[in-house]
Amino acid sequence: MNAFDAVREEIAYAFDRTDFFRKHMEDNELRPDDIRTVDDFQRIPPTSKSHYRRNFPAGVLARGYTLNSPHVMRFQSSGTSGDRLNSAILAYDLTRRQATAIGVHPGFADLWLPGNRPRICRFAPPNCSDVECATGFSSMADRTLPDGTLVLTVAHDLLATPEWQVVKAFDEIDAYGPDLLVVDPTHLAFLGRWGRRLGRKITSPKKLHVVCGYTLMTRVARRQVEDFMGPDVPIGDMIGMSELGYLGFECHHGQRHINDKDFYVEFVRDGRPVQEGELGELYVTTLDDGLVPRIRYATGDYFTPLGGECGCGTDLPVVRIEGRATHMVRLMDDRLVTPGAVDAAVGAAPWLDLYKLEQDRAGACTFRYIPNSSARAADWTALEHRLTDILAPNPVRFEAVDYIACERSGKFQSCVSRLSAEVTR
Amino acid sequence: MTTSTFYCRDDFPALRREIDGQAISYLDNAATTLKPRAVIQAITEYYETNGANIHRGKHRLSEEASDAYEAARVRLADHIGAAANEVVMLRNTTEALNLVASGLGLEQDAYIVGALDAHHSQLLPWRRFGRLELTRLDAHGRLDREHFRALLAGRPKVVALTCCSNVTGVVHPVAELVAEVRAACDATIVLDAAQYLPHRRVNVRELDVDFMAFSMHKMLGPTGIGCLYGRGQRLAALRPLSVGGGMVDWVDADGSVDRRIPYKFEAGTPAIASVIGSAAAIGYLEALDGSGRHRHDEELCAALVDGALARPGVRLVGPPDHDDRIALVSLKLDNGVSAGEVARLLSDSYGVMARSGHMCAQPLVTELAGGEILRVSAYVYNEVAEIEGFYKALDELLGLMGPAAG
Repeated sequence: MNAFDAVREEIAYAFDRTDFFRKHMEDNELRPDDIRTVDDFQRIPPTSKSHYRRNFPAGVLARGYTLNSPHVMRFQSSGTSGDRLNSAILAYDLTRRQATAIGVHPGFADLWLPGNRPRICRFAPPNCSDVECATGFSSMADRTLPDGTLVLTVAHDLLATPEWQVVKAFDEIDAYGPDLLVVDPTHLAFLGRWGRRLGRKITSPKKLHVVCGYTLMTRVARRQVEDFMGPDVPIGDMIGMSELGYLGFECHHGQRHINDKDFYVEFVRDGRPVQEGELGELYVTTLDDGLVPRIRYATGDYFTPLGGECGCGTDLPVVRIEGRATHMVRLMDDRLVTPGAVDAAVGAAPWLDLYKLEQDRAGACTFRYIPNSSARAADWTALEHRLTDILAPNPVRFEAVDYIACERSGKFQSCVSRLSAEVTR
Repeated sequence: MTTSTFYCRDDFPALRREIDGQAISYLDNAATTLKPRAVIQAITEYYETNGANIHRGKHRLSEEASDAYEAARVRLADHIGAAANEVVMLRNTTEALNLVASGLGLEQDAYIVGALDAHHSQLLPWRRFGRLELTRLDAHGRLDREHFRALLAGRPKVVALTCCSNVTGVVHPVAELVAEVRAACDATIVLDAAQYLPHRRVNVRELDVDFMAFSMHKMLGPTGIGCLYGRGQRLAALRPLSVGGGMVDWVDADGSVDRRIPYKFEAGTPAIASVIGSAAAIGYLEALDGSGRHRHDEELCAALVDGALARPGVRLVGPPDHDDRIALVSLKLDNGVSAGEVARLLSDSYGVMARSGHMCAQPLVTELAGGEILRVSAYVYNEVAEIEGFYKALDELLGLMGPAAG
């Protein structure tokens, strides 16, 4: 069966089994039989997070399932910028997508060898962690999820995490002995800085691996994570969403590959598919998702499909992560500067611990950064020039600070735009 | 069910809001209420036409603002049958109760009687300043009167009463309790009326309490305003919690002279606009009094209680009847269903705003429910149909979240 046949099956299944999608099609005078070609498929208006939020569970859960059916994992995500979601996923779909995506990186192959069930520690924004007890006032048992994942404690406002809570995270990792750390890279970089200060390292009797997700992995965070974990620990950047699981992964050549085996993917801008090298929003259609089938689900995440082959040997398409629509900097000359482009301009910046570019509603930008002890005037002058260039003609203000707040959700976004958030609302 | 024709929903702009294209049912009124247009306009008008600080200024705007502020105090005092100088404007009920507990000058280890269904704000201040003993409750949350009387026999210095529980919705027979206290000892009686006053009037003179605290935000007023009533002499003897500008008549190099009550408790610039908005809220509520509001409240209460009793999968935390309670129910969900998850799904999928957790009354919730509860609380702008909608949504959710089939 080719991928599009699988799409047609998914459409038929979603139409037959979910009230929401049936109504979505009927409201647009479409039936599954009308969708024979890719052009037909593009007549289906995209579905969105708000559709699935409002209709969960009764309208989007496939008939025959409940939230307590075997293998159903449910979760509540804080979303980005308050765009939260409740959803559920079948454990084996999650595993299937994870296996496909992570398969692009041989450094992770040993994690899922027959008989091995990886022990996972999660260090991420608390609201993303499926438990409300990731606040320190809880035991390890309280914070162990049904699948065995240990959720480590951290404050919602990352940089305000007190020392005792940092020490507790190190102690619990030691006690738990994980194979895999699933982290927000900004959080792990933070832990690394504390580790140097406290003389602590992350250790485990098992071979450690690091999967980064939740927010854009900046080059600044990546450098710190690599320095802290050392060269023997494989580090991979996950492209994922709570409601879908692994949408892609970083190969050992450092390229991001999108999972087009378990999803039918489209990159769309202004309602039309984009060409290779052009920026487009990722639309995802699940394949063989028995629980919550999604058709043309507009993720709000933008990528540039790069085309070509990657030296890693996988045939999953190569993309460049650009960031969320709501985070893109809008310039006065109508150009967009993506969080990915800002990250590229900042680079690994060994003199920098953390940064955040914020565009206000009027279009002005402020770049706040926390320099470390190695910073020299030439470093930030050069960076100021680079950012001023890419953000021109908009004004940019630069501030060296010793603290930058997280969102209330606990996520730290390196690039946000109040203007884009308002425009795309 | 026959319902009254009481209707004021259009006065509340927030109720016009849609989320994800869906209208909202706001059923978290025990936490805070929405604001009618009259209150919003009163606040806005102060900022649009005045905005000056009150009291010591001699200029025209300051005088106007002072007049409006003090007129609001008179309005609030009148609403509870107090003199204006017996009403202190504070931030919230919590601050009011802390002011009393800290200002009475209690000796260390002073014996204090409270009740298990007290809000944390009527528990923790007393624990800090004395030795608190809690009156037991029966399985439905009504006070164990025998135990209360037994505790009074120990001649407490303070009896901290709660008019209405924010968990069970039970309205306690405060007049009877006050009479028992007066007969048994000379304790200072401090009443938390935060949940009761939004639903029923209280006359502090008739009730014969020494202090009473309540919050305007739970009765259509702005957030940031809590009121403390104190009987004149008792209030005068209370030690202020905060000192500084606005609460003194004279300051020199060696000392200061406090202002008279209630000003000596209002240090610093107060929330002027919110106090003015509070008077508008009182005016709005009083105008509703003759229009079937109480009948409407009873209908909402009946719909909430009957709905809970009629369905499997939930246990009512509180009395299984309509007597002496406000339009509030707390539900313990069976089969380990998470109240927090249900509250979130009710909100995001059905537009129903309800509250989950321990309701700042953790000892009571632990005792009666063993863990988190789901609380649904209705108010003047709610309709019975919304409560029916809530239960329909809950049924659908519990059908999908209950024990796994097979």
